[in-house]
Amino acid sequence: MDKILKAGIAQISSRLGDIEFNKRQVIKGLHLGKEKGADIVVFPELSLIGFGSGDIYLDKVEENLEALKEIIEETKKLNLWAIVGYVDKDERGFFYNTAALIGAGEIKGKFAKTQLTNYRLFDEKRYFKPGSTLPVFPTPFGKIGILICEDVWFPEASRALTFRGAEVIFVLSASPFDRGKIEIWDDFLKVRALDNIIPLVFVNMSGIQDGVTYWGGSAYYSASGKLIKRLKLLVDDFEVIPVDLEEPKRLRRRDIRVREVRREILEEILRAYEEMSKWI
Amino acid sequence: MDINIEIYLKEEELKLFKDIIVNSIRARFESVKASIGIVALSGGVDSSLVAALSKEALGDKLLCLIMPEENVSPKEDIEHALELVKKFNINYRIININGAVDWFKKRFEEIDLENKNEKLAVANVKPRVRMILNYLYANALNGIIIGTSNKTELLLGYGTKYGDIAVDFYPIGDLYKTQVWQLADFVGIPTEIVRKKPSAGLWVGQTDEEELGHTYYEIDRVLYCLVELELSVRETSKLLNIPEEAINDIYRRVIASEHKRKIPIITRLSRMCLDKDWKYPVDRH
Repeated sequence: MDKILKAGIAQISSRLGDIEFNKRQVIKGLHLGKEKGADIVVFPELSLIGFGSGDIYLDKVEENLEALKEIIEETKKLNLWAIVGYVDKDERGFFYNTAALIGAGEIKGKFAKTQLTNYRLFDEKRYFKPGSTLPVFPTPFGKIGILICEDVWFPEASRALTFRGAEVIFVLSASPFDRGKIEIWDDFLKVRALDNIIPLVFVNMSGIQDGVTYWGGSAYYSASGKLIKRLKLLVDDFEVIPVDLEEPKRLRRRDIRVREVRREILEEILRAYEEMSKWI
Repeated sequence: MDINIEIYLKEEELKLFKDIIVNSIRARFESVKASIGIVALSGGVDSSLVAALSKEALGDKLLCLIMPEENVSPKEDIEHALELVKKFNINYRIININGAVDWFKKRFEEIDLENKNEKLAVANVKPRVRMILNYLYANALNGIIIGTSNKTELLLGYGTKYGDIAVDFYPIGDLYKTQVWQLADFVGIPTEIVRKKPSAGLWVGQTDEEELGHTYYEIDRVLYCLVELELSVRETSKLLNIPEEAINDIYRRVIASEHKRKIPIITRLSRMCLDKDWKYPVDRH
């Protein structure tokens, strides 16, 4: 029998720093997910605190952690799983652009964005420390990998999650629109799915902040790299999507590209990387 | 060098860009809890496009101010402005600015209009008078002023500081002039407005292209290479087959007008200098 994960995609427009508003949006999304029979509801990158460039992050982290607790409580009431983007703080006081995997009332895992964006309008290193681990999380619905936005613009992270046995990768994002952006995201997501023979669920923010449009258009790519579903562009939207977790296993019987990755080549990549890193 | 200069918007981009601009106008309007949006309508293509998009975003909560200078603003511009407000069913006021401009002129008796600087100084009074009228209405009606500058103008600094570029936001400020023409066609701005020669209307017979010394087609291609493709002057010259001197002429305008695109420089004395270190969004909740 086919193993299907019913993924609720909550494409919401968070406001930078308006934790109360964002929390209400997330809770609304949880309820919608429950109504529509989702196993897990996934929200965009930093959906609790909002995305944008501004020192507002420095003031609002405590409040966003409080809001996360309320959201965890709500998943308990609803007996629902969720992935929510927020800013986490470690014991040293460092901030991370984080996604929490919440399983019906408790945090089951966390993932911190590994590739912070610091070019053009982005300024994440001003606030955040990058994560350096790529965990895969067991859930009742399958093994889940999580990436945040820029992580999927590099091939390594989704590779590692694939090696670790992820059956699906959720990509949380708050992608600012500019010309050609939708097409390039489409290319990257398709290639990551194809390369790793793994389904990818892209959950993007919508709305406008300081003239920057978060373009929505969340999407599901099958393990064969096909765009199966695209949510509305620009505006809030919600869909429960059946993600086929069997397809990758079927495909990988004949498609040897994951199985046959060679250790020697991975080591060679690392040696080449060391060479690149040494200029003088 | 094989680089595609994709300055023209594709068919599917026109609809998307239009939607994004309309959404952004609505978002600014709601963010500041304005009661009305104000567009200074000259009858040119930029303000006509902004007016039409603002109408879509705000409906009846839009007021166009048509502020001609009699005997200087071309008659056809006023006719075009009236044609536009009629076509898109937009509320408007006509305010003649001659009295105000003359008042300022009289404060400066020794004007020598043959002198280039003095001629420009007087010309700049006009957009500044319009700016005062914009804010008079905006303050009185809890309005927000929707700017009409495009990316070409903003990059060249082809606008009057604290005049036409003094507004609350720039919904088409990331569109080159040639893209403005495309989008204007797409949203149904009357053809005669889209096709006429652009003019800042600062003196009789002025045209932008003559004053700038290049056509917008040329300028936009050059700016696209310098700004979007981040090519050097030399690379741009080679790619477009235009002499380096002509590219430099355009590039110098970009460099010289940086101050028009920034808030005034603050002398830094603290670790939180407001134009350098302080980084907060405008949309703050």
